[in-house]
Amino acid sequence: MSQNKYWQSFGEVNDPENLKKISQDEFQEELPFEGFDDKGLMDAKAPRRDFLKYLGFSTAAATLAASCKTPVRKAIPYANKPENLVPGVAKYYATTYVQDGDVVPVVAKVRDGRPIKIEGNVLENSSFAIGGTSARVQASVLDLYDMYRAKFPLHKVKDKFEEVPTFEQFDKLVGDAMKAATGSVVLLTSTIVSPTTKDIISKFPNLRHVQYDAVSYSGMLLANEASGFGRKIPSYNFGTAKVIVSLGADFLGTWLSPVEFAKGYSKGRKIDEKNPSMNKHYHFEGHLSMTGSNADERFTHRPSETGAVAVALLAELGGATAPSIADAKLAAGIKKAAADLKAHNGEALVVCGSNDKNVQIIVNAINNAIGAYGTTIDWSRAVNYRQGIDSDVAQLVADMESGSVGTLMIHGANPAYNYYDADKFKAALKKVKVTVSFSEKMDETTELCEYIIPNHHYLESWGDAEPKTGIVSFQQPTIYPLFKTRPFQTSLLRWSGDNKDYETYFKEYWTGKLGSETAFNTALQNGVVEEAAGGGASYSGGATATAEAAIAGYKKGTGTEVVLYQKVSIGTGAQAGNPWLQELPDPVTKATWDNYALISMAKAKELGIKLDMDYEYYPGKPVIKVTVGNKSIELPILVLPGMNADTIAIAVGYGRNESIGKTAAGVGVNVYPMATFNGTNVEYHIAGATTENLNKKHKIAQTQIHNSYEDRTEVVRETTLATFKKHPNVIPEWRDELRDAFYKNANNDFRMATLYPQHDQPGIKWGMSIDMNSCNGCNACVVACHAENNVPVVGKSEVLRYHDMHWLRIDRYFISDKENPDELKGVVFQPMLCQHCDNAPCENVCPVAATNHSSEGLNQMTYNRCIGTRYCANNCPFKVRRFNWADYTRSDSFPDNQDQKIVGKLDDVVFQMNDDLTRMVLNPDVTVRSRGVIEKCSFCVQKLQAAKLDAKKENRPLQDGNAKTACQTACPTDAIVFGNAHDKESAISKVRSENTQRGFYVLEQLHVLPNVTYLAKVRNTDELIEAEHNEGEHATEKTIPSAPKTEESH
Amino acid sequence: MALLRYESQVRPALVEGGKDYHQVTEDICRPVEANPSKLWWTGFLISVGLLIFGIISVAMEVTYGVGQWNLNKTIGWGWDITNFVWWVGIGHAGTLISAILLLFRQGWRTGVNRAAEAMTIFAVMCAGQFPIWHMGRVWDAFFVLPYPNTRGPLWVNFNSPLLWDVFAISTYFTVSLLFWYSGLLPDLATLRDRARKKWRKMFYGVAAFGWTGSTKHWQRHEALSLVLAGLSTPLVLSVHTIVSFDFATSVVPGWHTTIFPPYFVAGAIFSGFAMVQTLLVVTRKVLGLEEYITIEHINVMNKVIVLTGSIVGIAYLTELFMAWYSAVPYENFAFFENRLNLNSPYGWSYWIMMGCNVLSPQIFWFKKMRTNLVVTFFMSILVNIGMWFERFVIIVTSVYRDYLPSAWSTYYTPTIWEVGFYMGTFGLFFTCYFLFSKFFPVIALAEIKHILKRSGENYKEKMDEIEKESMIEFAEHHGHDHGA
Repeated sequence: MSQNKYWQSFGEVNDPENLKKISQDEFQEELPFEGFDDKGLMDAKAPRRDFLKYLGFSTAAATLAASCKTPVRKAIPYANKPENLVPGVAKYYATTYVQDGDVVPVVAKVRDGRPIKIEGNVLENSSFAIGGTSARVQASVLDLYDMYRAKFPLHKVKDKFEEVPTFEQFDKLVGDAMKAATGSVVLLTSTIVSPTTKDIISKFPNLRHVQYDAVSYSGMLLANEASGFGRKIPSYNFGTAKVIVSLGADFLGTWLSPVEFAKGYSKGRKIDEKNPSMNKHYHFEGHLSMTGSNADERFTHRPSETGAVAVALLAELGGATAPSIADAKLAAGIKKAAADLKAHNGEALVVCGSNDKNVQIIVNAINNAIGAYGTTIDWSRAVNYRQGIDSDVAQLVADMESGSVGTLMIHGANPAYNYYDADKFKAALKKVKVTVSFSEKMDETTELCEYIIPNHHYLESWGDAEPKTGIVSFQQPTIYPLFKTRPFQTSLLRWSGDNKDYETYFKEYWTGKLGSETAFNTALQNGVVEEAAGGGASYSGGATATAEAAIAGYKKGTGTEVVLYQKVSIGTGAQAGNPWLQELPDPVTKATWDNYALISMAKAKELGIKLDMDYEYYPGKPVIKVTVGNKSIELPILVLPGMNADTIAIAVGYGRNESIGKTAAGVGVNVYPMATFNGTNVEYHIAGATTENLNKKHKIAQTQIHNSYEDRTEVVRETTLATFKKHPNVIPEWRDELRDAFYKNANNDFRMATLYPQHDQPGIKWGMSIDMNSCNGCNACVVACHAENNVPVVGKSEVLRYHDMHWLRIDRYFISDKENPDELKGVVFQPMLCQHCDNAPCENVCPVAATNHSSEGLNQMTYNRCIGTRYCANNCPFKVRRFNWADYTRSDSFPDNQDQKIVGKLDDVVFQMNDDLTRMVLNPDVTVRSRGVIEKCSFCVQKLQAAKLDAKKENRPLQDGNAKTACQTACPTDAIVFGNAHDKESAISKVRSENTQRGFYVLEQLHVLPNVTYLAKVRNTDELIEAEHNEGEHATEKTIPSAPKTEESH
Repeated sequence: MALLRYESQVRPALVEGGKDYHQVTEDICRPVEANPSKLWWTGFLISVGLLIFGIISVAMEVTYGVGQWNLNKTIGWGWDITNFVWWVGIGHAGTLISAILLLFRQGWRTGVNRAAEAMTIFAVMCAGQFPIWHMGRVWDAFFVLPYPNTRGPLWVNFNSPLLWDVFAISTYFTVSLLFWYSGLLPDLATLRDRARKKWRKMFYGVAAFGWTGSTKHWQRHEALSLVLAGLSTPLVLSVHTIVSFDFATSVVPGWHTTIFPPYFVAGAIFSGFAMVQTLLVVTRKVLGLEEYITIEHINVMNKVIVLTGSIVGIAYLTELFMAWYSAVPYENFAFFENRLNLNSPYGWSYWIMMGCNVLSPQIFWFKKMRTNLVVTFFMSILVNIGMWFERFVIIVTSVYRDYLPSAWSTYYTPTIWEVGFYMGTFGLFFTCYFLFSKFFPVIALAEIKHILKRSGENYKEKMDEIEKESMIEFAEHHGHDHGA
């Protein structure tokens, strides 16, 4: 036998045993089927159960894949990636919200080329870019994606609009027509705040420029002229005013520049516990406005009496003869306000919402008497928000009627809708040979014009605004124009023979003015440039006596008076086509999607309207007919406390026609025609109205139906300044009592609250604080939340069914006199959102753990785990969880299921919001929820994550202020503070530790351990509430007898 | 001869009419074997119609969303969960009768237990529909089952009372079904043996699981019955206890009440017996079973109704007392404002509940009323209306005005699909019941034979004859003929 060994590999030589073993093994790698013998089946690495799991899963997956087809939408990546653009990373551009004369400096958040969110621009050392927004500013981004926008130039041929293929053709068409037309060329615009635009207009040959404001401030402009200031409006400094008297000016909601005013006003509402003081706000008005709701002392009068009240106030200050004021309470109020104004010379401010020149002259005299000029009123920074003069417009309409106007170009104005005599305007418009509209959207006026060349949306535009003398806020495009639109300035340039486009003109203008291209770029980047203030102006009181005499001659208002007001959400109606704004509950009435007649309880009684259970619990509200002269309208009523008995208030901005789109068409009634013109000013209050109960009902969609907080002091804490000073520790003592009742000898809140294990928050613990004293109910946060979190719009039909989806709502409670519910003592606004309870009642009831607690203290919703039992919503004491009752977002796997016909028919607006164009506004960082799942406030977790990621990338710890919620940044009054409560240096920790006397948790006694602190509301009055100590105990007894009464009364 | 007559007076006969075993079999099998009557067809078709209405209603809801119902941001549960609890409650009598009364050796139960058990199963089937279809995403309903999955550590939430419901209801249903079916086995065998048609033989043959009636079978059957009765007894108490936890463990004033478990169980038995009454008063008449389901049965069950009704009444009063005594303003408000106050939006529903559940059953203190069929039938309906309102009151009047007055709800009324779903469960229930009464013996054939007093009666009758005889006759008749 041969001794040779034949081998192939070293393994064979050196370790033949092992090799043999390996070669025999079919599977050379270890299979996971081990240990059946030596270990228990369940302990094995891959037990048979795994096999069953996989089998089960694959079967289920196959079934699902086979049955539920979700339509695939293709996303195409950039073939050539634009420079400076990282997909998924947001860019921010400073720009300016300009809507007619309203100017707010903003920053647009742009994700992948789409602006999706507007924030207030905060610029260091700026007096104008101070942050904060309004509901309308927040909502303006949705207007960009409005499917009803005018998409290309149009020319009316035989009453039908036809597209004009190119701008050149359009220019030729208009140019030829203008040449052929005899008569003057007129440009009718809303207030123009842009210096470059004004420059262009001034260079247009033989152009007559008329400015027209839907709600006019002409009386104020003329009064200031009469008082020696020129046709201007000054800057108001609410921040330094210790005493503020408003004669019907809704300066926190709709008057002039509410964001700026709210910011200043709120400074005086912050309370330092060591030395509590506040500004004092007196309010005189006819109906209950949002600003009036915030007043410390509020007095009502007929709207026609505003002049008399102003004169009486001046008389108290020694500047006029006192007229007779019949109402003793009102007279006392005027006396009190006057005394306070006198005592705060140089620290007081009187503002007036009247459009009457004479009234405003008196107000100027008052402001002069109290030393407001140069202190709280700044003429060196006169504002340009409103420039329209009523008589100019009336003159234009007359000229048009006479046929002397050859060409009328209209930009930003919609007189066919909002002119007091729109019919006259429409008739006159027919006599104008050439009519051109630059409107972004079809509207009542534009549809009557012959040529339409739509303007860009402001987010697509270059531009500038000079809101105040020397302060310029810039606009830069944040997106390439979506449609075939052209800046109206370019059109003007072209038609005046200048071939530059507006962009070039604008750049040249500002590069020249600012000195260099670098300066221009910096200006764009900052958004706002502040130059030296203009010279002041001095007051001359010459006109006062005449004005006083004129006011004395005013007829005393008789019968019922109608006053037209603007709603915080809709304003003049320019943005009425905006679904977010339409669905925004009015701060005072909590009603959406409608206007209505606000009446007093006395008036309701007079009309035979019973304020019973049916009135409160059913949305159908009685319809009345209001007749003034030969005009009459029918609309539903809402009864409010704190209304002047003879005043009916109706909001303008509603009753738009089909032209602006299906959404806003037919919502409410247009009441602009009720306004009157007295030869100088348009008047927004009309005396001598008659009312009639039509005994029919119209449904009003309110998001809150009960108005009293039923003495539930665990929910709402409010007090007066006098009480607060005397008993500063009422709240901490009450909280201590609660604590003692629960866990006298234990130190761990959580342990005593629940059987379940405590959630660990090793790093961050997010917390929020809301100052109810700063919150004025403006609702900017609500719209911001819509925009940031893709909160669906459900339409009136669904709001009527109490299906509104707002993650954040502002609860409004009236504080009335027990005996006389019409006697309104105050109004509390309480922003209510998920409280992110540490011991959340929603979390332990979910059968599938779809809602759970994060390690940072967030109560989070896992949408794709949610099966929609709604148990969590039932168990939420704050009722902040929202359920997707229908496929509001068209993101359901059931196709075509939005067309329900029998029950729950969805309004057009839902379909509008699901239009591909409108959906561009969606925030890609936030899931769009499908039908059947619960959703709620997440504390903007996507923003928190982004902030943490940024910190991580920069290798630094997260700093306070890096992560902000959408509601917080939107808030113009800094009522919301948010941050890491574990960080002792953070703003939230400081707010909590510095406000122990006002800080409380809503429903703290339930021991759900919320993470949102509220700071109690303090009304600056002398009223002493002594019973407050034992409120908790007394609440039991009080609740029962008071309840039926309040039911009847509200 | 009188000495020979010993008679134990334990109880009166439970089955009237002096039936013998054969007659019993004939009587009970007759409706199963005869062709269905017109009346049966009418009832059956109406039920199927209702069922179809229900299916359409549910289909609408699944397709378009829960917005097809009028629930809202404040009222998350309305008719859906009201109906769920109502049906679960009804499903209590059957098991109580079969299990607890079996353990207590209440012989009378055999007349009614089969129908009651069937009713239980159908009622639980109906009840189960609501928590399933009330989900916003019913296609993901399987998430509530704790099974090994590929979702990582994701598991059901064992803290949630809704999950406890899943276990409680499914266990209860399974045990009830087994109990019912195991009881049916000997009867199915009887039907099989009597069957003439081939399909009947097949059907009952398969259904009878090869029952031959051997001693071994009987022995096992008896043992199984006892075991299942033992299992069911705690379930009777636990199911509604757990259902009540849905509310009792919450923070909602009016729900958060420790009295709920016993109060719910009493209420469930109350409504369950009422439903048994409703069905049996009709069934005995229509199927001619008056001698099996006797007035005495009705009487006894009415006693249970007045007892449980009074327990429920005391529970209501206790709740009110506690609401006052606790001095919790919110609970106080829920009871005295939302419910007791007739002028509040839903005050009427509380008083319907009080009237139907507490006041009206008090007439059953009178035997005359207890044994009156018309009164019984009317009352049984009234009680079930009352018990429906009890659940409605608990669910809706608690949540519609709870802690934050800002969230207080507008008036809630059901939509057509909410009503349709409820009607549909009636359809399901009666469709099942009609099929059951057609294809299965509505009285437990084998069990009722246990309680026949026939042998004793025969003995007595014969003894009477003997006593009448003279000695000679006796000798003649009974003497042994040892051949002429």
